[in-house]
Amino acid sequence: MNLKLNKKQIKTRNTIIAYLVILLSLCFFILPMVWICYCSFRTQESIFTGKILAPLAGFTLNNYYRIFSVTDFPRYFLNSIKISSLVTIISLAVSIFGAYGLSRYTIKGKKPIIIGIFSAQMFPQVLLLIPLFLVIFSLNLMDKTIGIVLTQLILVLPFSMWMLKGYFDTIPIDLDNAAEIDGGNLLQRLIYVILPIAEPGVMVVAFYSFVVSWGDYLIVSVISQSQNTATLTLIISRLSASLLIRWGQVCAVATLTIIPTLILFALVQKRLIKGLTAGALKE
Amino acid sequence: MDKRKGYYLIIPAIIIMGIFTLYPLVDGIRVSFTDKSMLRTVYNYVGLDNYRQMARDPIFWLSLRNSIKLTTIVVVLQLLLGLVLAWTLKQEIPGMPFFKSIIMASWVIPVAATVTIFKFMAQPDVGFINVILRNIGLGNIVKYWFGDPKTAFSFIVLLHLWRNVPFYGIAFFAAMQTIPDSLYEAAEIDGANPWQNFWYITLPGIKNMIIVMVTIHVLWTFNNFDFIYLATGGGPINRTDVLPVYVYRQSWVNYAAGYAASIGTIMLIILSIYLIIYLIIQEKGEYIR
Repeated sequence: MNLKLNKKQIKTRNTIIAYLVILLSLCFFILPMVWICYCSFRTQESIFTGKILAPLAGFTLNNYYRIFSVTDFPRYFLNSIKISSLVTIISLAVSIFGAYGLSRYTIKGKKPIIIGIFSAQMFPQVLLLIPLFLVIFSLNLMDKTIGIVLTQLILVLPFSMWMLKGYFDTIPIDLDNAAEIDGGNLLQRLIYVILPIAEPGVMVVAFYSFVVSWGDYLIVSVISQSQNTATLTLIISRLSASLLIRWGQVCAVATLTIIPTLILFALVQKRLIKGLTAGALKE
Repeated sequence: MDKRKGYYLIIPAIIIMGIFTLYPLVDGIRVSFTDKSMLRTVYNYVGLDNYRQMARDPIFWLSLRNSIKLTTIVVVLQLLLGLVLAWTLKQEIPGMPFFKSIIMASWVIPVAATVTIFKFMAQPDVGFINVILRNIGLGNIVKYWFGDPKTAFSFIVLLHLWRNVPFYGIAFFAAMQTIPDSLYEAAEIDGANPWQNFWYITLPGIKNMIIVMVTIHVLWTFNNFDFIYLATGGGPINRTDVLPVYVYRQSWVNYAAGYAASIGTIMLIILSIYLIIYLIIQEKGEYIR
């Protein structure tokens, strides 16, 4: 009897602590995003009153109107979309074939290759970038979309290969053999047998590639030289470093920069959590 | 299956990694022994001169100390807060599925956007943090938090926590799901208290996940460039200078590619030592088992 009451008390205490942590977490992790979204609809005067709740007259769509009509924002947005989509497609293609090869075939020097791919994640990017700049320069790819895309691939390929190889390894090789006996060639085996089973892993890799490319600042800051290739991360950091900052417009740009990643996140959220943790749990 | 196909399949990955990772790595180490500038094509081999210069360079030592300090503080705090968050996520209470689905949002948005959000919130006149402080009567401590030598470093730590703690929470939570309930039930019969439950059941159960998360984040935090570069640029008065930012400044502001590469090589050596120690510990752990 005594024990049961005790248990209930513990449960109540835990519930109270949990809600407290949730409240603090929401304030710390979520509120800042809500705040900039909210301020993107406020006039400069309204923001500068230093009040949290603005009167209705303090709200405007002008910030969005101006970044679309006066600035080059649409162009940078399209640049970002173009670069991130290409990185995602190439990263998927290269890592699906590569991981399948590593998972299914006997390859000489397989172990060093896998270790090499894995340890590539630890190399300091600031060090790699010095020779990379010269590589890109001599390939005549400076300030070109494809130059940025190829360089950003080094940020995503190690994880993509590792993730997909892990997934493919869990799929029984009998399935491949059965499909081969039925006359399926390699591409058919991949598309009809392997990829449907490995779909969560593929989604995680696609999401990861897009988000990492979308958020990259380091590589773009070195290879992009003009507005032809400048991306949102470059522009948003320039905007908030200038002397006279129009915070309403900065907030609007920031909001539109984070929204695509949040939409994608909402789409893959469940699989992402499963996929990201599956690799570590397999051990 | 045709044996050669395996090689064809991995060739694209090998070529891309070779040209854009392996070659730059080797060449970066080579450049660290030269006086190469980003502005000239001619350069000479200077032996260990860059490394000698580094040994006398107070900013290098400061950056090294800051890098190690930042990585240690950030990863320890992330680990502890991540455990608290994971414990919370485990409670089955109304609203939890929604909370679970939005909490990782800060992890997916670009670092440049995160920095912009926090720079805006830290503004002395219009920033959210300072507006709140004024409203609760603490108007006298209002300032630009990234610009004050006393608080800039703490705010960099805050940025790292903001981005990664939810990831830790979700990852640890997922690992906790794999611990069978029967273990806790058995412990309850034996009269274990919550602390013993945590220490003897939960912690061993998520040990692998802790090791993976800590390793990933030590590498990530030590190599991270954009948080500090965009938030403070290493300032005020070098208070937040770390190695990646110093390498970037040397190569793209001073154009001293050779010197920058030598600092980058030292970073690589430090990370390699860390990984080797990690592998040895893991190997030992396997023997004990």
